[in-house]
Amino acid sequence: MKVSYYPGCSLEVSAKPYNISFRQVCSSLDVELVDVPDWLCCGSSAVLKMNHLLSLSLAAKNLSLIEKQDIEEVVVPCPFCFRRLLSAQQEIGQDQKIREVIRETIEAPLEGNLTIRNLLAFFQTTVGLELIKAKTTKPLKGLKVIPYYGCYMVKPAQVTHFDDPENPTSMDAILTALGAEVLDWDFKTECCGASLSLSKTEKVLELSGRLLKEALWKGADAIVVACQLCQSNLDMRQGEIFTAEKKKHPLPVLYITQLMGLAFGLSAKDLGINHHIVDPLPIIKERGLLS
Amino acid sequence: MLRLTGDPSERAFLNQVLQKSDQNLLECLQCGKCTAGCPIASEEVGGPRQLIAAILIGMKERALKDPTWVYCVSCGTCATRCPVEINMYAVATTLCELAEKENLIPSAPEIHLFEDLFMKSVLKYGRVQELRTVMEYNLRTFKPLKDFSQGLTLMRKGAISPFEILKGRKKNQAVSRLFSKVQQAENGK
Repeated sequence: MKVSYYPGCSLEVSAKPYNISFRQVCSSLDVELVDVPDWLCCGSSAVLKMNHLLSLSLAAKNLSLIEKQDIEEVVVPCPFCFRRLLSAQQEIGQDQKIREVIRETIEAPLEGNLTIRNLLAFFQTTVGLELIKAKTTKPLKGLKVIPYYGCYMVKPAQVTHFDDPENPTSMDAILTALGAEVLDWDFKTECCGASLSLSKTEKVLELSGRLLKEALWKGADAIVVACQLCQSNLDMRQGEIFTAEKKKHPLPVLYITQLMGLAFGLSAKDLGINHHIVDPLPIIKERGLLS
Repeated sequence: MLRLTGDPSERAFLNQVLQKSDQNLLECLQCGKCTAGCPIASEEVGGPRQLIAAILIGMKERALKDPTWVYCVSCGTCATRCPVEINMYAVATTLCELAEKENLIPSAPEIHLFEDLFMKSVLKYGRVQELRTVMEYNLRTFKPLKDFSQGLTLMRKGAISPFEILKGRKKNQAVSRLFSKVQQAENGK
């Protein structure tokens, strides 16, 4: 199976574990990822807010590069890039006038008929749970995980058309297929504070803090994410969040692809599991899941 | 209750926002579901419902100085729950563009500064240089050691490389060309 791969800027720098674990898992699943040549930033939330036409043009330029690859489906692990590309394809498709302007700004043709999938949709639909189950040689027995979806993959529902925006279950299903014990909670799609991490850190401490405290109260061994911004906020801010409680770094935050890799029998090191601030290895060892 | 006084300038602002954002704010019921679910709404940040009210009654200055759109992280919760499907992050973009035209310094300037540095990095390199942008932001806000310990831990573990900050990337020609075309299209409007 061959799909186009748009990693996005973060996965090249601050979220390498997400990138490498995804590539490893795909290779286990016999999926060939074809990187989009010369892709550009999607503009992220900054350009989306500051300049509508630039944001739309950046996304459209990437769509045209993907279309040139002549592969029908593109997988986009960064939830923001995913939503931005999908939203741009919809907006351009619906508006003839915009379409003409965009053709001028990107200087390339645009068909607008790509299948754009986020990581969870890709695993659920393109790969399928059966194959994931079949590849699971080391089930994550006894590991209590709490799935955290964040915002951008599911909201707004009118754009993402994916899963349930208030109570999504696609990640739950994958984790169950891997043999983990999946805990339910009410904060699956509550915001972590996203890009305010640097400019309004106190807001992120408040928002990520309540997620972490709820997950701890539920008895989770780890939070599982499919977004590098959620990972970073939840992992990096624990020192500040828990200073009052005098508990330091109590809850590992793992990418879904890292847990898939472990269940497929890949080594923790090859999945970048040693690259997080809160070390997930002790709890993984304690549950007897390290080969 | 504040209402439009009938001054044409009020109506002009309202129309501008409606057209640019492509969101029909006139359908707003002021039900407050948006603000109830908004992660950034607080005592200081009024949230979407109040912001829409300000726009509807033509209070241009109040709307452009409202911190809600500056804080907005485009999580999409309000758009998902809104009974008339108003997308507030589209409105945030409109207000941000209008504020810039008016040379208004937005409330919460540090959020604006970060977004501005981010955009400049994209426009220069084609892909945002995350660590350089973070470093630049910290220097510009006179907190050069912000999050230093976390950064150090990540470097020690090999998760990020200090060379990412130092190494210069080449300017990206494709993004420069794209941006000049965008500017042309904007000026041609």
